[in-house]
Formats: sequence, structure tokens, C-alpha cells
Amino acid sequence: MNNLTIHSGETFEQVFLNEPSVDLHIVQEAGSHVKIHVLNWRADGSNDAQATNRIAVEQQGEGCSTEIYALAYLNGQQQVTTETRVTHAVGGGTSDQLIKFVLDEESKGRFVGELKIEQDAQKVEAHQTNRNILLSETAEMRTQPQLEIYADDVKATHGASTGQLDDTALFYMQQRGIGAQKARQLLVGAFIKDVLVTIGEDNNALRERLLNAVDGIIE
Amino acid sequence: MRICNFCSTFAAAFDQTTMSNLLEIHNLHASIGGKEILKGVDLTIREGEVHAIMGPNGAGKSTLSAVLTGNPAYEVTEGTVLLHGKDLLSMEPEIRAREGVFLSFQYPVEIPGVSMVNFMRTAVNEKRAYEGKPALSAKYFLALMREKNKLVEMADKLNNRSVNEGFSGGEKKKNEIFQMAMLEPCLSILDETDSGLDIDALRIVAEGVNRLKTPQNASIVITHYQRLLDYIVPDFVHVLADGKIVKTGDKTLALELEKTGYDFLNE
Ligand SMILES: Nc1ncnc2c1ncn2[C@@H]1O[C@H](COP(=O)(O)OP(=O)(O)O)[C@@H](O)[C@H]1O
Ligand SMILES: [Mg+2]
Repeated sequence: MNNLTIHSGETFEQVFLNEPSVDLHIVQEAGSHVKIHVLNWRADGSNDAQATNRIAVEQQGEGCSTEIYALAYLNGQQQVTTETRVTHAVGGGTSDQLIKFVLDEESKGRFVGELKIEQDAQKVEAHQTNRNILLSETAEMRTQPQLEIYADDVKATHGASTGQLDDTALFYMQQRGIGAQKARQLLVGAFIKDVLVTIGEDNNALRERLLNAVDGIIE
Repeated sequence: MRICNFCSTFAAAFDQTTMSNLLEIHNLHASIGGKEILKGVDLTIREGEVHAIMGPNGAGKSTLSAVLTGNPAYEVTEGTVLLHGKDLLSMEPEIRAREGVFLSFQYPVEIPGVSMVNFMRTAVNEKRAYEGKPALSAKYFLALMREKNKLVEMADKLNNRSVNEGFSGGEKKKNEIFQMAMLEPCLSILDETDSGLDIDALRIVAEGVNRLKTPQNASIVITHYQRLLDYIVPDFVHVLADGKIVKTGDKTLALELEKTGYDFLNE
């Protein structure tokens, strides 16, 4: 496990690409910023690659921001588990989490999202969103959001959904002459790019490389 | 022949006499979820014609447009449909589109994350590839989009937005006609394109449709209201009720229906 303290006013930003294991425990001091991307990219892994991502972030000072983005795009028998634990110990902070899985063939995804806002942590704004697309009938997704909110004056939202590609959108595109496969590529590509575009300026080159690679790897 | 010369060339190779028959529907039956909705539709449409289809809610008008465009939710149980003499029902939806069948959806679909430009460029270039033509250059394509935006008074800033996402009701309908202008279909089906439009938007949409009219293409205009037919003047008006065409007339039939409604159906 990696223990990190982000000091007052500092920013920690990192992209983890295809790590078999990410295990981070971060403590944030007042006014610090954390932005993490965890990407598990099928094209670069073996057929049965497995990865576990554990990210725990604790806001111990006021006015912190935490952003966690996780994207897993899997096929074959690949498996990815992503666990996040965001704790607002003090008030005035924000946290945003966007977790997406695209699962094809017999791949499996699991997301456990713990969000805790402690009693004294007033004026916190915390959002957790988990969206998953199953591209085959044999792919599997398990989602376990766990919200513990003890403060009253907070804005907290969470949402989780797992489904197939939107049939009506596929047909709409086909009706315009776009082939079925190309239509699926556009929809999956849009779903994935939505996460990639959030990669910050420090990682410009990587973001562009991944965005350009998306169309090429969707079957 | 400017529009749709690909399908027309094929048709000419088959039979000169059917060449002006753009669409021939014979005894079409279709169902959804095991429930029969179309119960024997017959309709022939020739090049250059505008056909209005009217009829009560639930009659099967949208079902007919869904079946003609190959919506997989519907099952055709009987009958044939020929487009320029070719078996339409055996074609995949995208092939029907590339052969020149266009549907202006009653409820246009939002596609988050796919920009109008990307969507349209893919559609136009896939059609061109099907016709054996090279892809359009990015620059020429954008100019073409702007030109067609103007046809329906659609703000060109919408080109950079996701397809239909956050568009107003009127913008969605204009967007349908814009796409029709980009794709130059030989058969366009407008499914209640007028519903929910104020009179200005209605006029713009109708004028767009009229400007796209050529002697070679044809339209099916599905509507509840006479008022659209003041702008898009039909050659024929059909009444679809309970899955069949029960009455056909000229444009005066629409006026008559406006006055009397569909009560005659129960007599
Ligand atoms: N998914 C469905 N399952 C069963 N019946 C349906 C479904 N969709 C539409 N219908 C029925 O099909 C009939 C025709 O609908 P539609 O073609 O939309 O009519 P119109 O466009 O003429 O108003 C209606 O009775 C409607 O209730
Ligand atoms: Mg309808």
C-alpha cells in the first residue's frame, strides 16, 4: 500500500494505466487537490488479466477537492475490481467520482464505493456515479455503493446503472445509413471518451493518445 | 437523374415499366410483441409524389414507418415491399437507408457524446462508400453542413453538440429535416414532423421539405393535422385505420377529415 499525504494547498494528479494493482491511501490537508484516473484498457492486457484498484482518500483539512475517475474496458475473461473509499472528516470539501465499466465477452467487473461524511463535515458536496455497459450476455457487473452520511448540511448524490447499449440510438444511427458495428463503436466510444476527456493538462499527451486509440480498439 | 441515381440505375436494369414505381407495398402485415398492428397495407408510390397518411391514434402509422425502415422491434408476418423493384424487407436497416429511405422520427433520439458533425460525416461517408464514391473532405463537408443548416434555419453551433441532446422540440424536428437534406433520400417518411411545432417552425420545416422535392423522389407525410398539408401539398391522402388503408382521396380528403373527424370509420 502507498501512503501519501497531500499538504496544504498542494495538488496531486496521476493517471494509472493498466496497473495490475493500485493501492493508494491518501490523506488530504486543508485546501489540497487530488485527481486520480485509473484505467484498465483491454487491448493491452492478456485474455485473463486481473486487476484490483483500491483508492482511499481522507479529507482531513477543510476546502479540499477530490476527483476519482475509473474506467475499465474489458473482454475475454478479464476481471477488474475497483474499490473507492472517500471520507470527508471535515467540512467544506468536494468529492466527485465517475466510475465506468464496459464489459464484453465473459469479463467481470466489480465496484465498491464507500462514501463517508462525518458528523462535523458540514457543507460538503459529494457525488458518486457508476455507469456500466454490458456488451455480451455473459459479462457480469456487481456494484455496491455504501453511503454513510452523518452531517445534515451536505449535498450528496450517488447513482449506479448497468445496462446494454441503447437500442433506440443504435436504430436511429442505422436509419441514417451507419452500419450496425460502426454505430456500436460510436456509442461505446462516446461512453469511454466521457472519462478520458477529464484527464488533466499535465497528461495531455497520454489523453490524446488514448482518445485517438479508442476508435481503433472497439470491435 | 440527380437524386438516388444508384437505386434508379438498378431499377432500370430490371424493368422499364416499373421504373416510376418507387415503392410498392403489397398486403403488408406486421406485429409487435405478438400483437398484429398492420393488417394488410397496400400502397404504391411513384417518383415525384407526395402521399399523406392520416388516421386515428394507434392506427399503425408509426408502425408502418418502423417496418419500412427495418426497426427490429417489429415482425413482418406477411406481404412484400419493393423499393425501385428491389426487395426492401430483406435489407438491413442501414442498407435501406443507403438505398435512399429516410425517416424523420416522431421522437428523435438523443445520443450523448456523439457530436452532430461526427454522426453526419459517418452517415454521409458510409452512404458514399456504398455508392462507390470517395469520402468527402473535412472542409467540404463542414461547408455542406452549414449550407444545409440554413435550409431549416438551424443554428450551426448545434453541429458541435451531441446528437439531439438538449435540443428543444423544434430544434429536434428541424434537425431531422437537416439530416434529410444532407442524405438526399429518394423516399422520405415524415412521422408527425409537425406535432409540437409552432407555426414558424412548421413553416420552416415544410419549406425545407418542399425545397428538397425533385421529380425523382417521393415523400410519405404522416400527420394528424390539415395545417401541415397547407404547406406540403399532397397528391394523395390515405386514411389508415386499424392497420389498413380504408380510404384514399386527393388533398380535399384532408380538409373533409378536419371537419368530420374519423367518425365515418364506425359507421
Ligand atoms: N411495444 C409495443 N407492444 C405492444 N403494442 C404496441 C407497442 N408499440 C406500439 N403498440 C401498439 O401498436 C398500435 C399502433 O401504434 P402506432 O403505430 O404507434 O400508431 P400511430 O402512429 O398510428 O398512432 C397501438 O395500438 C399501440 O398501442
Ligand atoms: Mg405515431
